[in-house]
Amino acid sequence: MKFESTPDIAEYVKKEIYPDGLEYVPLRENRVVVKVAPADLAKVADLFVKKFEARLIHATAVDLELKGFEVLHIYDFSKVKDRLVVVVKALVDKDSPEFPSIANITWQATWAEREMKELLGVKPSGMPDPRHQFLPHEWPNPVESGSVPEGYAFDGSTTTKEMYLPLRMPIEEAYQTLIPIGPYHPGVIEGQIVYVKVEGEQVVAADIKTGFHHRGIMKLIEQRGYNKGAFIAERVCGICSAAHGLAYITCTENLYDAEVPDRALYIRTLLVELNRMHSHLLWVGVVADVIGWKTGFMLTWGLRERVMDIIEAITGNRVNYGIWRMGGVSRDVPQELAEKAKRTVDDLRDECAKLLMLVADHPVVKSRLIGVGPLTKAQAYDGGAVGPVARASNWKIDVRADNPPHAVYDPKVISWEIITDDHCDTFGRTLVRVKELLVSCGIVSQCLEYLAKTTGEIRIKPKTVPLGAEAVGLNEAPRGELAYYIRASDKDSSLPHSIRIRTPSYRNNAIIPLMLVGSNLADVPVVMGSTDQCLACTDRLEIINERDGSRKSMTWDQLVNLSRRVSRW
Amino acid sequence: MVDLIYTVVSLIVIVPLALFLGVVYSFLLRKLSARFQWRVGPMLRMYGDLKPLLGTSRLLQPLYDILKLYGKETVVPDVSRRRLFVYSPYLSLIFAVAAIFFIPFPGMPLLSGVPYSLIIASYLLIASILFTILGPIASGSPWAAIGARREVELFLVSELGFVLSIFAIAIARQSLVIWELSKGAQSVYLALLTVTAGALMFAAVLGKLHIKPFDMPEAEAEIVAGPYTEYSGKLLGTYYLSKAFLLYGLVALFISLFLPPLATDVLWLPLYLIAAFVLVFLLTAVQVLNPRYRIRNAINWYLKVVIPLGLLSFIIALAIWLVV
Repeated sequence: MKFESTPDIAEYVKKEIYPDGLEYVPLRENRVVVKVAPADLAKVADLFVKKFEARLIHATAVDLELKGFEVLHIYDFSKVKDRLVVVVKALVDKDSPEFPSIANITWQATWAEREMKELLGVKPSGMPDPRHQFLPHEWPNPVESGSVPEGYAFDGSTTTKEMYLPLRMPIEEAYQTLIPIGPYHPGVIEGQIVYVKVEGEQVVAADIKTGFHHRGIMKLIEQRGYNKGAFIAERVCGICSAAHGLAYITCTENLYDAEVPDRALYIRTLLVELNRMHSHLLWVGVVADVIGWKTGFMLTWGLRERVMDIIEAITGNRVNYGIWRMGGVSRDVPQELAEKAKRTVDDLRDECAKLLMLVADHPVVKSRLIGVGPLTKAQAYDGGAVGPVARASNWKIDVRADNPPHAVYDPKVISWEIITDDHCDTFGRTLVRVKELLVSCGIVSQCLEYLAKTTGEIRIKPKTVPLGAEAVGLNEAPRGELAYYIRASDKDSSLPHSIRIRTPSYRNNAIIPLMLVGSNLADVPVVMGSTDQCLACTDRLEIINERDGSRKSMTWDQLVNLSRRVSRW
Repeated sequence: MVDLIYTVVSLIVIVPLALFLGVVYSFLLRKLSARFQWRVGPMLRMYGDLKPLLGTSRLLQPLYDILKLYGKETVVPDVSRRRLFVYSPYLSLIFAVAAIFFIPFPGMPLLSGVPYSLIIASYLLIASILFTILGPIASGSPWAAIGARREVELFLVSELGFVLSIFAIAIARQSLVIWELSKGAQSVYLALLTVTAGALMFAAVLGKLHIKPFDMPEAEAEIVAGPYTEYSGKLLGTYYLSKAFLLYGLVALFISLFLPPLATDVLWLPLYLIAAFVLVFLLTAVQVLNPRYRIRNAINWYLKVVIPLGLLSFIIALAIWLVV
């Protein structure tokens, strides 16, 4: 299958959407680059968001060395035109890398702009929140801005204890009413700090600080090339590894004129949906654990184990499948295996339906979930929620329908539906995930039926990636929309110049404070868990800061030595 | 004289016996909940190839866990009020052990024949729980403070149920001596009272032992270890030890009050144990079937259950007293 663009899409963008751009470059699959002057970025954002109701997918910047920084705003226009994604670019000078902030126009850019500022040194002017988000916890705050949060006497001489100022409250008050949930807390497995200000058990204010998992994944891909990149991309997240693999492959296939055999597309869909099944089962288990129901946790993880077994039978691996290739997949699903797997999946579907409906009907579970972590549709839209969190707020958004990845999601071929719910709370998020799980079972079953009936090739050799090509790849991960942006190198056809990953948790974590305010302290872990947050994804997004990296890095040999020393004890 | 010697000897015997039974009940609680959750749990009979390494049975696993804690370092935080922090676990243990002296065991009346033993036993049980609140408050940890606060709220409502239930029985039977209550002849009216007051007592025991859905004082996902956050080593072990005694004490009190002849003669011992195991099984069933309540929901639930059931029990008890 070839992935076609609408003809003259760049002309369409120029005529209908934004006529004042400096340059219009069509990319593959209805992605259009619009180059603008840096000063126009805010104007463009205002027009796109207010007039066309476009949604900001990601804002980032690329370091072009001598030429300067290229600021990128990626907008989703799929509501206006089929699969249209507009990439707005502006080249800012290295000497004075200033450009207007768009966080006041679309709040979703807040984290992204803070990240750009912290890690690349560009200066978005007029940011609503100048504190750092991803820099180390001990980093002085406010960073390089000199602006002082309200109510804090800042004389420029911070001590390490006072560097981070959560919730902009005076330090004396913070000592009395501020409860740090994290960086390491039994309720959340991964490292982050959620500061909650409590009155009794009532949360009156909340703030989130991330940046405990810098792994430099994007830099690794940039140094290893497209083919090895697929394996590294999978390792961004251990739970939604298939989603990352598919998004990366979609993006790299968009760099050249790709062709993928149908059977490979079906295998991709199969794996991504199996992945979604086990991720959602895992989530139900985690929430059951967080509300103290060990039985629910054990039973759902027992079912998840069976999904993992199917994945293992198909790919040979349980966590990172390693079958993603440009132009197809590396491993076929034999017909007998497909038949056997289909029977297992059908059995599993009945059991899941029974168990999960039991969970959703349990009176104490209901009392713990209904009304907890409320998020209205308007809040979800403004905050930029994605995935099940957005769908539980009755917002019908799903990349698989709007902007499908390179797999089979055509409603003519495979019957599936987008699940939404109008509870707008954690209970709604539970129902959405439970129903999505059953929909995924259906998709898996249909894929296996196709694979059991047919045979065919699974990979077409990829062509050389043109120099300087660009692409955007989107996929619906279990946690929501996942976006990859790749810019090919100008010199080497096997290396990307830069790669940017925007994971769904990046968005959903940003709105956690919004959902926390007004809830009970007992509900804080539930609300945090309800977004299915994957902090490793969020933080692996970053490039290792050189100053910090050189200070803390440890070579492989040192680590091995350390482990030996410990084990000898 | 013989009676006195027998009482003294049985007082000495009951402490290890109560500890053993408390440990066995905790083992059952762990084993049964594991089986409910598709897990194996602590092994009653060890796998053959692991026997040389781990022994033939892990029946006493809860005790081993406590003993392990006695071998660990005990950390006392600088910010704590040291004396209260350190003595609370021991006081809790002493009161729990003292409480079991007033609760009869088949063949051993112990001190349950003394006047007002019902009131003494219930006060000692309350005092034991009180020191699981005071110690944590002295520890200076915010988690412990929140946990202790929840414990106090839960304690107030569950204690209400406990007191209503034992006094309904006491009014109906015209006695405050546990030994007399545990012997008395059964009648149809008393059976009715046993059902309502027994249910009330069961609900109170859930709260006292932090059985889910009432384990919010120790909710690890929310407040780390709750009251026990700053406790470690011997002090934590002592708390766990007093919990084992408390488990035995509450089960024994339940049986002696609500299943009358079982706790009197030594011949009733098999039935006594079966009753205790059934009670532990019921506790486990509640534990595995429920997630944790919020503290507010828990109080609402107690008020919804405790007040009607308590009033009902009292009306029945008064009717028995006045009419029968």
